[in-house]
Amino acid sequence: MLEKIIQSVDSIPAFPLVVHKIMLLITREDYVVTDLVKLIEYDQSITANILKMSNSAYFGSRHKIKTIHDAVVYLGQQNLIHIVQTAGASRFYRKVSGGYVSHAHDLWKHSVAVAIMSQVLAQKVLQRVDPTLYAAALLHDIGKVFLGEYVRDSLPKIEELVEQNGYSFLEGEKEILGIDHAELGGMIALHWNFPEETREGIAYHHQPRSLGSKESLIPWLVYLSDQLCMMVGVDGGVDGLAYRGLEESLTRFNLRGKDLEKSIITFHDLLLEAEDVLNIV
Amino acid sequence: MADIIVSIADLKLGNRADDTLITFALGSCIGISIYDPQAKVGGLLHYMLPDSTLDAQKAQGQPAMFADTGIPLLFKSCYRLGAEKKRLIVKVAGGASILDDAQFFRIGQKNITAMRKIFWKNNVMIEAEDTGLNHNRTMRLELATGKVTIKSSIGIIKEI
Repeated sequence: MLEKIIQSVDSIPAFPLVVHKIMLLITREDYVVTDLVKLIEYDQSITANILKMSNSAYFGSRHKIKTIHDAVVYLGQQNLIHIVQTAGASRFYRKVSGGYVSHAHDLWKHSVAVAIMSQVLAQKVLQRVDPTLYAAALLHDIGKVFLGEYVRDSLPKIEELVEQNGYSFLEGEKEILGIDHAELGGMIALHWNFPEETREGIAYHHQPRSLGSKESLIPWLVYLSDQLCMMVGVDGGVDGLAYRGLEESLTRFNLRGKDLEKSIITFHDLLLEAEDVLNIV
Repeated sequence: MADIIVSIADLKLGNRADDTLITFALGSCIGISIYDPQAKVGGLLHYMLPDSTLDAQKAQGQPAMFADTGIPLLFKSCYRLGAEKKRLIVKVAGGASILDDAQFFRIGQKNITAMRKIFWKNNVMIEAEDTGLNHNRTMRLELATGKVTIKSSIGIIKEI
């Protein structure tokens, strides 16, 4: 079964190339607006999704956005990066079938929620938003999209390990399927040629410590965002909250319980503003 | 027959027999249902955090976000619809935690403790509960009968 799961990664469609191209262009300071507009409009599905999300209160534009040109001009660079990543990622979440969640929308909602939470925490501990963190947080559970059918078939076995033997859900996946959803997500990120930091954020989002001495903060922040979303009930599905709490994730950033509670309040407000983003899947 | 959805940090009341109050996705949050079988009045609260001193301004606008502002509001609102304290049946669910819930992550546990303190101070008995552990819950209160059912994220449905 493990071999079959790993082989399936090769047949996953490429991540929309236009997203990579947009990222390259957008981070050049001297880009020409019409070039960027043309590049985005080249992909119809991304264009449609951007237009659906652009007027969301979450992105906070004071101008009504009706065209991609408006979006490029009024959203601001950071928001534009986030919205393009979101539009590009969403296509992979439409056909989630069983396993972790009964509706595709639930896994998408969790993914967007973790992305939003990651920026709340980034503001708090890094004093800035972070597009690499956003991408890793948004796609942290991409492994679940493709592991879902195997988890569905093995659910009683995994749940027995969790309920009876003190396994986390992740450890249960690994024991029964030979691979867990974070590890598989890392392979998919590799298949998509994602930058190293994004891939690590996905692959280590439950076990940031396993990254060893490397000093990337992204896996820790994705981890923390994911745990907080589970606690608020915006969860990833049947696995519920059956994951390990790592105290180090707080001490590392000098965060206290009260900081987490405050972040949850901020997050809750933002999630309500992001309804249009949730609704694209 | 209508399902009335109670969002996170929200409460809803009802006295129409064919309605059901329902709240989804109780993780570490707590759902409290109260029901007066004589007046056929019920309420359901979904609070998120234990203590409103964390953000007094927020508590004013959204009292159902916190245990100490949400619980009194739930009871008072039901009294206004004709419920009486001595007849109220109180059932609670939620307060789940992640595994090895170290002292830092204990929002679920803090939510449970805050609720127990408030009930103890006000002489309120909990009739039934399904709290703790590490799964999400959906909670429903049928206003015709006062029946409360809990569905866990692993799909098990039970009446409490």
